[in-house]
Amino acid sequence: MTTSTLTAPDAPAEAAAPESRRERRRRERREDLDAAIPVELYGLKRGTVSLLTACCVLFAIFTLVPVAWIIFNSTKTQANIFGTFGFWFARPFEFFHNFRMLFENVDGDGTYITWFGNTALYALLGGGGATALAALAGYGFAMFRFRGSKVLFYIIIGSLLVPIGAITLPLYLVYAKAHLINSIWGMILPSLVSPVGVYLMRTYIRLSVPRELIDAARIDGAGETRIFFKIALPLMVPGLMTVLLLSVVGVWNNYFLPLIIFSDNNKFPLTVGMGLWSQHATTSGDQNLYPLIVMGGLVTITPLIILFLILQRYWRSGMLLGSIAN
Amino acid sequence: MAAITLSKLTKVYATGVTALDGLDLSVADGEFVVLVGPSGCGKTTALRMVAGLERITSGMVRLGGRMVNDVSPRQRDVAMVFQNYALYPHLSVYQNLGFALENKKVERAERDRRIRAAATVLGLGDMLGRKPGQLSGGQRQRVAMGRAIVREPSVFLMDEPLSNLDAKLRVQMRSEVLRVHRSIGAATLYVTHDQTEAMTMGDRVAVLRAGVLHQYDTPRALYERPANVFVATFIGSPAMNLYEAALSSDGAFRGQPTVVLGSQRLDLPAQVAARVAAYQGRKVIVGVRPEDLVAGLTGGGGTAGGGTGLVADVRLVEVLGSEQHIYFSIDATQAAVAEGGAVAAEAAEAGILVASAPNGVARLDPRVGVRVGERITFWLDPARLHFFDPDTGHAITG
Repeated sequence: MTTSTLTAPDAPAEAAAPESRRERRRRERREDLDAAIPVELYGLKRGTVSLLTACCVLFAIFTLVPVAWIIFNSTKTQANIFGTFGFWFARPFEFFHNFRMLFENVDGDGTYITWFGNTALYALLGGGGATALAALAGYGFAMFRFRGSKVLFYIIIGSLLVPIGAITLPLYLVYAKAHLINSIWGMILPSLVSPVGVYLMRTYIRLSVPRELIDAARIDGAGETRIFFKIALPLMVPGLMTVLLLSVVGVWNNYFLPLIIFSDNNKFPLTVGMGLWSQHATTSGDQNLYPLIVMGGLVTITPLIILFLILQRYWRSGMLLGSIAN
Repeated sequence: MAAITLSKLTKVYATGVTALDGLDLSVADGEFVVLVGPSGCGKTTALRMVAGLERITSGMVRLGGRMVNDVSPRQRDVAMVFQNYALYPHLSVYQNLGFALENKKVERAERDRRIRAAATVLGLGDMLGRKPGQLSGGQRQRVAMGRAIVREPSVFLMDEPLSNLDAKLRVQMRSEVLRVHRSIGAATLYVTHDQTEAMTMGDRVAVLRAGVLHQYDTPRALYERPANVFVATFIGSPAMNLYEAALSSDGAFRGQPTVVLGSQRLDLPAQVAARVAAYQGRKVIVGVRPEDLVAGLTGGGGTAGGGTGLVADVRLVEVLGSEQHIYFSIDATQAAVAEGGAVAAEAAEAGILVASAPNGVARLDPRVGVRVGERITFWLDPARLHFFDPDTGHAITG
C-alpha cells in the first residue's frame, strides 16, 4: 500500500495558471539539474572520468576547427586567405564584401543565390516529403500487421545496405528513359524515399505511441485517418523532427545525385555549384574565387545550424505525460 | 433482451495458447457484471473481444441482440475504460471528453452540454482546461470514466479501472463507479483480479480461471455456495480452509454420520448428512470459512449446543484492529487447488518446520484473547461446512 499523504488525494498536481515561456525554460533547466546524476554515483574513478572528458574535448576540437577556420577566413581577401595565419583575422576586413559577392553572377555560371534557392527547394520538398512518407510508412509498420509486412520491412532495411555508387548507372539509365535528367523531380523523387526514416519512425512510434491510445480512439469511434492525424501524429513530433533534420541534411549535402542528373547550371544545388567554383578556382588560376568559396561554405552550413537549434527543443521528452498510468 | 450475450466465446492465439475457452455469459440491461479471476485467466481477452479489439476465434458476441463478431470497434458503440486510462496526452480534459462526440458528429452545443454534464457528475468541472499530465491519478481515472459516459452508451466496458490507484482511493472510487453506473444505467462488464472489488460491486460475478468460466452468480451465492474448490478459495479473504477428510457412519451417537478430519471427528446433523449421503464411507474435501470458526474454551473436543468442536494449536496471531486472524494447525492434510482445477493434497514435507506450520486460519473478534502456542477449540456449525468431490473439485450438493 502506498503511504497516504497529508494533501487530499485529488489535490491538483500543478497550478493551473499557464506558465510563460521564460518560466518554462527556467523550470526545464531546473528539471535537467534535478535529473542529473553526479558522476561519483556511476561508480567511475576520477581518472576515468578525466580521460573520457579529454577524449570528448579532443573530438570537439577536431569537429570545430574547420568551422572556426571558415569563419576567420570568410573575412579575408584571397591573398590573405593564403598569406596569413588561418586561425585569426587579418586586415582588410572583407566579410561584408565577400557576402555581397555571393549575390553576383561571378563567372557566368550562375549565381550562388540561385543555387541556394535550388538547394532550399530540394531540401524542403525532398526532406519534408521524406519525413511525411516515413511517418506514414513507419506508422503502418508499427501499428498494423498485414500480409507481407515483415518481408516488406526487411526489404526497406535491406536497401540501407546498397551504396549509392552501386546504383548510379542504373539510376541514370532509368532517369534517361523517364525524362528525369535535368528535371528537379529527378532530384526530389529519390530524396522522398528514406529507409532510415521509416526505420526510425517505426521504432519511435512503437515506443511512444501506446497501442491503448489507438484502441481507445477506435472505441471512441474515430476512423483510422483521423486517429493518425488527431492522436498519433502529435505524439510522433519529436521523432518526426529527428527524421526531418536527417533528411533535410541529407538532401542539403547531397552531391552525387545532382552531379549526375543536372547539366543545367541554373538547376544546380549548392554542393554542385560550389564544386564548380572550386574547379574553376584551381584550373583557371587567380579569379578571386576563394573568398567566395569560403563565404559560400559558411552560408551553406548556417541554415542547417539554425534548423538544428530550432528543432532541438523537440528532443525533450515528456510528451506522453499523464496519458498512461505508470 | 440481454445487452451483452457471449456464446461459446473462444480465443486461441497464434501461439496455440487458449486464452478463453467457450465462455457463455449474458449481461442484462442496466446490470453490473464483474469478470474476476487470477491474472491470465482470460478476463481481459473476453472484454477486448466484446469491444472488438481482439479477433474472435470461435463463438459469438451479441450486443443488444445484434451479432457483432465482424463489426469494427468504432461501429459497435461500446464505451470502454482502460486499465491505464489511455488519455490523449496532447488534448485537454475537455477535448478528451469530447473526442468521441466529435467523431459521432454531435452538434457543438449538444457536445458542450454533455461534456459539462459529465464533468459535473465526476467533479471535473474546473479541470476542463488541463492536460492529463497536470492531473492526479484519481482525476485521470475520472477523465477516463468521463470519456466513456459522455457517449451515453448502452454497453460499458471497464478493464481493471481502479488497479492503478492507491488502496484508499480505490475504495473511494468503487462507490463512485457504482454511483455513475446507476445514473447512466448501462449494461456494464467490469474486469478485475480483485475479489473484494468483484464482491462489493457486481450484481453478478463471473469467476474465470485458465479461460474457463467456473461460476456465474450473485456475490452472495458465490460466497455461500461455491461451485468448486477454486471458487471456494478465490472468493473470501482469508481463503476458505480445505482439508482432506472421510465421511464415516460409525459416529459416537446412534450411528450418526461424522466427518473424520485427521484424528478428530465432527458429527453431522441429519440435514447436512443427507446432503452428503452419496459420499458415505468415501473421501471428501471439507471446507470451512475462517469466519465460521468461533473461539471456544480451551480443552478437549466434543459436541455441545448444536455446534461441533475442532481442536487446534495456535501458531500465529495477526491483529488487524477490527478483527484478528488466527493461524492454527490441526493434524489433517490441507487440500490445495491444483493446476487443472481439481484438488491435490499439499505435498507433505518432512521435518519439524512443517509439523508446526499452520494449515488453517480463523477470523475472530479482536477482543478474544488468543496466544501463540495455546491449544484452542473452535466451535463451528456443521451446516456451514462445504463439501467437495476430491477428484473433480466440484461442490457436493446432494
